[in-house]
Amino acid sequence: MSYAVLSVPDFALRSLQRSDPSLCGRAVALVAGEGRRARVTEASAEAARVAPGLAATLAMSRCPGIVLRQREPESEVEAHRLLLAAAFTLSPRVESTGPGCCTVDLRGADMPRTESLMRLRAAELAAFGLAPRIGAGATPLLAAYAARCADPVLVVGDAAGFLGPLPLSFAAPTPAQEAVLKGWGVATLGALTRLSKAEVGARLGSEGVLLYERAAGESTRVLRLVEPARSFAAEWAYDPPVESTEPLLFKMRRYAERIALELRGAGLVADRLSLTLLLEDETDHRREFRLPEPGADTDGWLRVLSGHLATVRTEARVSAVRLVASPARPPEKQEGLFDTGLRDGAAFWENLARVAAIVGDDRVGTPEPLDTHRPDAFAMRRPSESVAPSGEAPVHPPFGPTLRRFRPPWPAAVTCESGVPSRLEGGRLEGRVRAALGPWRASGQWWGPGAWELETWQVELSGGGIYQISRSAGAWQVEGMLD
Amino acid sequence: MPASPKSVSALRSLLAARFPERARKPCGGVPVSVPSVDDALGGGLPSGRLTELVSAVPSGGGQTIIARLLAATQAARQRIALVDGSDAFSPGSVPDYLLRHLVWVRCRAPEQAFAAADILVRDGNYAVVVVDLRGCAERVLRRTPAATWYRLQRAAEASSVAVLVQTQSLLVPAVPWRLVLDTPLSLARTGEPRDRVADGLGVRTERSHVEPAAELAG
Repeated sequence: MSYAVLSVPDFALRSLQRSDPSLCGRAVALVAGEGRRARVTEASAEAARVAPGLAATLAMSRCPGIVLRQREPESEVEAHRLLLAAAFTLSPRVESTGPGCCTVDLRGADMPRTESLMRLRAAELAAFGLAPRIGAGATPLLAAYAARCADPVLVVGDAAGFLGPLPLSFAAPTPAQEAVLKGWGVATLGALTRLSKAEVGARLGSEGVLLYERAAGESTRVLRLVEPARSFAAEWAYDPPVESTEPLLFKMRRYAERIALELRGAGLVADRLSLTLLLEDETDHRREFRLPEPGADTDGWLRVLSGHLATVRTEARVSAVRLVASPARPPEKQEGLFDTGLRDGAAFWENLARVAAIVGDDRVGTPEPLDTHRPDAFAMRRPSESVAPSGEAPVHPPFGPTLRRFRPPWPAAVTCESGVPSRLEGGRLEGRVRAALGPWRASGQWWGPGAWELETWQVELSGGGIYQISRSAGAWQVEGMLD
Repeated sequence: MPASPKSVSALRSLLAARFPERARKPCGGVPVSVPSVDDALGGGLPSGRLTELVSAVPSGGGQTIIARLLAATQAARQRIALVDGSDAFSPGSVPDYLLRHLVWVRCRAPEQAFAAADILVRDGNYAVVVVDLRGCAERVLRRTPAATWYRLQRAAEASSVAVLVQTQSLLVPAVPWRLVLDTPLSLARTGEPRDRVADGLGVRTERSHVEPAAELAG
């Protein structure tokens, strides 16, 4: 096999059903024309006794409750982009053959792996609402024939054996050719190719030779290759505008599925998502999400986006949405032999994202003290995926009870006797100081605008409790409790 | 007719003897490395259970217990989450290497703490989840429906994570283990190594749920 064809039967109808959740599981037909001339072009399986070519009025009488809709070009374009994105995960050489059909040049590919990839992609596209048929063969034409017979994947190894029983209509003969061949008793491709090609040419002319080559699957052509996606974005509109999250999330999933496939086809992942809600009053709501774990997993993206949308309140209805994924190289990692990794990495990062949606992105993570003597200076870092051994114990182990901070510090009034705090009043505290330790003086950044200077004491109140207090620029505050 | 059991413990033993297949097995534990706490809990924080640690007095040692728990879980190379209801944890007060396995959630309100705890307890990647509600408004905590605690308890059972809830007053309904820190530390202890401070912490057992199976085995 050198080529593959991905084809979606009833493409226009499938595209429409994919973009409109209300059509799922219902009898639907696409019609062309207006009034009495309206004819059914495609009908869903639920529309019993309705076939293409039937008048719309007749379709309604045969199948009460049938939904008749016109084609929707926007949803077809999006569905075709999804199909192309799936094709690019098989090979970088892809032709956009027609609506709902693309041809992939597989020459040089690892065939067993590609075949399993095709099956995987067929199942994935079916889950996305497209249900493609994928055929593979030695020529683009043979692959197209295979796609017509596939369920959902068919790889043709023995071309003659495959083509033999196929009806002559597969080779698209003209009515005149069909009539002649019928007179000869030729009804299948195999029957035609058993004849001599030269004799067929002598009787049917050059058109007959072309027909013979199509019947033999020999006809080949140069693919008109298309470029893979360079930007990973989608924008869609709502008419009428929407005011709840359900329709937003439904379409967001559809577009995210395509973007994720495009990223995978390019060997990339997303590390950030940018969401813009364009509102009816011509304002917008923008938000950028740094993904906890870079990836091309639509479910993970949707969890982050839906978590945010659940908290959004806008002044006007949403008329359009723009979703952009920032591409990045997939993270490569190799853990140490004895490192303790995550039991469930996906759950870990998703749950952190959910917690971040509750408390804020900058308030979840692993704290890392900064290289300064300034009190309470730390940064929140991304948690490590593994818990490494601690190594050697510190040279200076910690002393005393652990500080529990009051953020922000409580302003306090401190009375001093002989320079030592003797009474403390501030926040929820009031009392005589039973014992005091200090002062510890520290300063920093004196050369710059962020200069600081502190005098710190540890005091024990007569009613119990050890507190850390500090004085800066003449003002006292309670930093926390030693606990 | 056999005599009626005289206590809840006796009733549990009786039920465990009658229905051994129903008896709950001990889930193992996560040592805190504070002798008084580990002794009271029978070896450490029970996995799959809630333990309430009440800091009844200021400077009772609750934060030092968190610091020791950080050291113990680091030594065992386990992951720990701290849901900090009043954003009071001080990263600078513990050595850097004891922070690398910690996921710290800095909440602004008790509601955030409950929501975050509910997610993290179900995660399955943590050995211990500490829910520190000290410093949160007492009236808000009192309004917390009992169902919130039962839900957290069920989640802990499902994921086998040890949950330590730190409070200022008795708060968690039907908690299996409740310990009370009611002896304040003195300023003189600030000159002692922290390990010695932790070793000397006094803990009173307010409630202790003995697992029926363990009791039988004993």
